[in-house]
Amino acid sequence: MRTKRSDTVAAYLFLLPFLVLLLIFFVYATGRAIYFSFTDYDLFRPPNWVGLRNYAALFADALFLSALRNSILFAVIVTAVQTFLALVMAAVLNQKVRGIGFFRAAFYMPSITSSVVITLIFLWMFQRRGLINFLTETLQRHLPVLLAFALILIAVQVVQVAWERRRELPAAWTDPALLVVSLLVASGATWLLVTTGLILPRDVPPVDFIWLQTRDTIPSGAPFWLSVPIPLAAIMIQNVFTTIPTFMLMYLAALQDVPKSHYEAAAIDGANATQQFLRITIPSVAPVTFLVLTLSMIGTLQMFDQVAIFGDAAPLRSVVTLAYFVYDRMFPGAQTPEVGFAAAGAMFLAVLTLVVVLLQRRLVRSEGY
Amino acid sequence: MRRILTIVLATALIGGAFAQQIRIMGYGGQDPAILVRLLDEVIGAELAAEGITLTYEPLEGDYNAALFNALSAGTAADIFYIPVETAPGIIATGKVLALDGLFDTAPFIESLVEAYTVDGSVYGIAKDFNTLAIHYNIDLFDEAGVDYPDANDTWATFADKLRAVAALDTDVYGTCFPAGFDRFGAFAFATGWQPFDADGATNLLDPAFIEAVTWYTDLVREGVAIQPSDIGQGWTGGCFATDDVAIAIEGAWMLGFLRNEAPNLQYGTTFMPIGPSGERGNFLYTVAYGINTDSPNRAAALRVLEAITGPAAQQWVLEQGLAIPSRTALADNPFFLEGTPEATANRVVFEGAADGNVLGFQFGNIGTDWMTPVNDALVAIMTGQATVDESLTEAQRDLNALIERAR
Repeated sequence: MRTKRSDTVAAYLFLLPFLVLLLIFFVYATGRAIYFSFTDYDLFRPPNWVGLRNYAALFADALFLSALRNSILFAVIVTAVQTFLALVMAAVLNQKVRGIGFFRAAFYMPSITSSVVITLIFLWMFQRRGLINFLTETLQRHLPVLLAFALILIAVQVVQVAWERRRELPAAWTDPALLVVSLLVASGATWLLVTTGLILPRDVPPVDFIWLQTRDTIPSGAPFWLSVPIPLAAIMIQNVFTTIPTFMLMYLAALQDVPKSHYEAAAIDGANATQQFLRITIPSVAPVTFLVLTLSMIGTLQMFDQVAIFGDAAPLRSVVTLAYFVYDRMFPGAQTPEVGFAAAGAMFLAVLTLVVVLLQRRLVRSEGY
Repeated sequence: MRRILTIVLATALIGGAFAQQIRIMGYGGQDPAILVRLLDEVIGAELAAEGITLTYEPLEGDYNAALFNALSAGTAADIFYIPVETAPGIIATGKVLALDGLFDTAPFIESLVEAYTVDGSVYGIAKDFNTLAIHYNIDLFDEAGVDYPDANDTWATFADKLRAVAALDTDVYGTCFPAGFDRFGAFAFATGWQPFDADGATNLLDPAFIEAVTWYTDLVREGVAIQPSDIGQGWTGGCFATDDVAIAIEGAWMLGFLRNEAPNLQYGTTFMPIGPSGERGNFLYTVAYGINTDSPNRAAALRVLEAITGPAAQQWVLEQGLAIPSRTALADNPFFLEGTPEATANRVVFEGAADGNVLGFQFGNIGTDWMTPVNDALVAIMTGQATVDESLTEAQRDLNALIERAR
């Protein structure tokens, strides 16, 4: 009995440093924020109780509604896309290929690079005369050449495989040895076509797609709650790019635990790669999928930094998220801080996050995992 | 333990009696270095003799957010910067000392004092100020065989000169026009338009404002002017330093940048073009020093304020080419007449403050948020996403909501 009690005391002692921090910076801060959300506090004058007025004002605020729409669309789309791509990438990187370590490290780079730096680089790429528009234009310009190359490649490959098969040798349509020959022939032929002037890059008008400085949405003219502002789509692309590797790593760890014998048994039963992926890989990593979905949902609902760095590069209404809305109202133009109003927004965001995660838990669990 | 504490306390008390530590909070960037040099070379010794030492605490990042935090938490310095665009909000916190009867504001330029006057009390002493001027690239104008911009230019002749230089090459533009009211506003003021009427309302659908917007955005649509971001620059100074544009409309803050980034660039400076009202338009940008009401060393803080805004300090700041002094007595300073490009630019910027429709870079208690709808409209028009009428109607609606909220 004595030892048990002293064990408990010891446990609490070990927990104490963390508990103190938690009490001060989380419990106390949250309590204050909840209280402030019912007042008209402005940091300088003593707070007056205003009841639910701040919450009612939230839903009358056009910027808040935009922020709510943006946050929800951002969370749903980014979570779906990055979870799927992370799993695919992990499956690809789970192969036993020479130099796989290099690819794993290279693919992980975006995640350990500073989010600020990546956002700044993407800001440049999304400019009207940025890399993305330039690449699109270059692609369009060289489309005839690329098309010719592809056609020749396929033709040569088909001829070769057909030849092999006539000689009754087993050859798949993607036989690597034959593909190398086809590539060489196609490259040479395309080079000839271009130098002789038979096929030339065409003249296309410069691509002038406006990614940032626009209020347009995709799809344009869709109902308010379903339209994704184009600058927000730009942030989505960037966010997916930077977060995939983190989740890929989690999936990679999970995949290493899937017994090889499952795949071998499936292969003997005649399952192809796609069937193996759908029937073995996905069910085996289901617990990790739940974790990834939850982390991704929480992360995307609270996205702040990328909007802050985008700053004046895009109209606020097109990129504002709930987290940024809270910051924006906390330090508005030349007025004193609207702490009460901002706190109400923060509370709404907290409750929303909680509800989404709980709902998702329900949904994922009900599928039987 | 107790003994150590006593010693520390005693030292602090005795030290406090002899030396007074005054803290100043301001911008990051080059300001900390400037203050250190100002202290070392001009006012430091004098203050030290009176037992006052100064420390500068730069607030990096979002200055207003950091200052509001510090003011609210009681950690703000004895003296802090008050940017003119957010001054109403900062003064409204009640943490800025009214200087009535404590400080003589008479030697300072009147419009600068006015920008910091609320209900008849002065809350800040402008450390310096800036206005916009036309800086032109001499080589590009020579190459194109076009007359340099001058003080007699109207919007029409000015635009023609830009067109002529822009015709040189597809990679050369007349100027960079950012989609921001912080520059465009000067043109709006040149029509006689004002951001607020007597009731504090804004009318963006005023024919005068529409005329200015049309003129400004048409130059971009025509390809004579270009947005800085479209040639990979963050601001007009960047466009100018790389010889991409013939003129830059900026303040004297660009001079130091040019000195470092484009030391061989030959430039001249002249006044803003004359608008349809027959007057030029311009902004007055400034930052003031304010004193914390909670400062324990009020007397010493006032003494420091006197020294850093004093004639000796301002003369030094001017001669270093750092900023334009806020004291009227420095108007006919020999430095302005030295004839170097920098001295000329400083003189034009200085005189710009009293030439035509000059308004402070201030938007009442709405602050810089006021500019957001206008900037969005400018972008939409410049990129051809909406017409002038559509954009301004939408901006007017957003602005009405903003003004309503702030009331």
